[in-house]
Amino acid sequence: MPRTAKGIELEGTVVECLRNATFRVELPNGHIVLAHISGKIRKNYIKIVPLDRVLVELSPYDLTRGRIVFRYRG
Amino acid sequence: MKPVEFRHDVLISHVAPDQWHALQDDLVAGRGAASRRPDGRIFVSIDAWHDAAFDELAAAMLAALPRPLHTVVDEADLEMTAAWQRAGFTIRRREWEYAVPTEAGSALPPAGVALPPAGVALPPAGVALPPAGVAIKGFGTASVAPLRALDREIRAEAGPGWQDMPAEVVARPLDPSKYAVAADGAEYVGLLRVAMVTRLPRIGLIAVRAGHRRRGIGRALLAHTLGALHHVGKSTASAEVTESNVAATALFEGFGARRTGSNLELTRR
Repeated sequence: MPRTAKGIELEGTVVECLRNATFRVELPNGHIVLAHISGKIRKNYIKIVPLDRVLVELSPYDLTRGRIVFRYRG
Repeated sequence: MKPVEFRHDVLISHVAPDQWHALQDDLVAGRGAASRRPDGRIFVSIDAWHDAAFDELAAAMLAALPRPLHTVVDEADLEMTAAWQRAGFTIRRREWEYAVPTEAGSALPPAGVALPPAGVALPPAGVALPPAGVAIKGFGTASVAPLRALDREIRAEAGPGWQDMPAEVVARPLDPSKYAVAADGAEYVGLLRVAMVTRLPRIGLIAVRAGHRRRGIGRALLAHTLGALHHVGKSTASAEVTESNVAATALFEGFGARRTGSNLELTRR
């Protein structure tokens, strides 16, 4: 796992939009994390929908939780 | 015996003019950022892994930045909304997110044709044709100079409310391929902008000049756009509408749009 100054970041695929502005994101290793979207994404009105490829920053306190910090195009 | 007191020792570091970090035990427990929109308003965001980091970041940013400050949260995100309210932010406005089915626009005539040619069946009820004398120019067919002039005129007519448009979050060059335009003779009188964002097209703007409203032009633009999206295989488009914009709400809901969520803009004065 690449650990950067921003924490542990991994690419994943959004598999489900849940209530409370959270998403299930599947990581390349098959693990599913529960992720919020970052404030920057919200501030810029970027929509996240199932099947989007995203970059997730994992919580250093709980590796089953994360934050979507980037949505890839295409 | 004294109760054990648990302390969050969060250190705030102002790492760049518009960025803050909350550090705790060698971890970045939160980040804050500020950015200025084209209209000059400052929007802030905070991502924190726990409340203490959020609160410390908010306090540091509020102390450093000029007011008013703005932020946007998903209304369903109750924790985030509560966190901003703890920092003194209050709700300024609500914006509905819509999923708009494109099927309602699927029986439209080709772009630029005001009325169906002879022998072509009329679209089903609920699909709007432009009023007499008005033609819809499809995406990529509008001329740049009159489109730019129309954009300027519509902005001037909209006044300060224009800045609430989500489409105005980022200043972009005007790209005719993203616009459908209503032309009354040679004059451009209405426009609709669509951005193709990954799989979900987004209707970022629909506007008609003041003297040409209440003629069904907005409805015709939307119908044309939905039809064009349907023909390229898009079943749904997204749109955001400010709650107070009753006309736009009625327009989208008239095409079967359903609310999928809402955003809150919060302000700290």
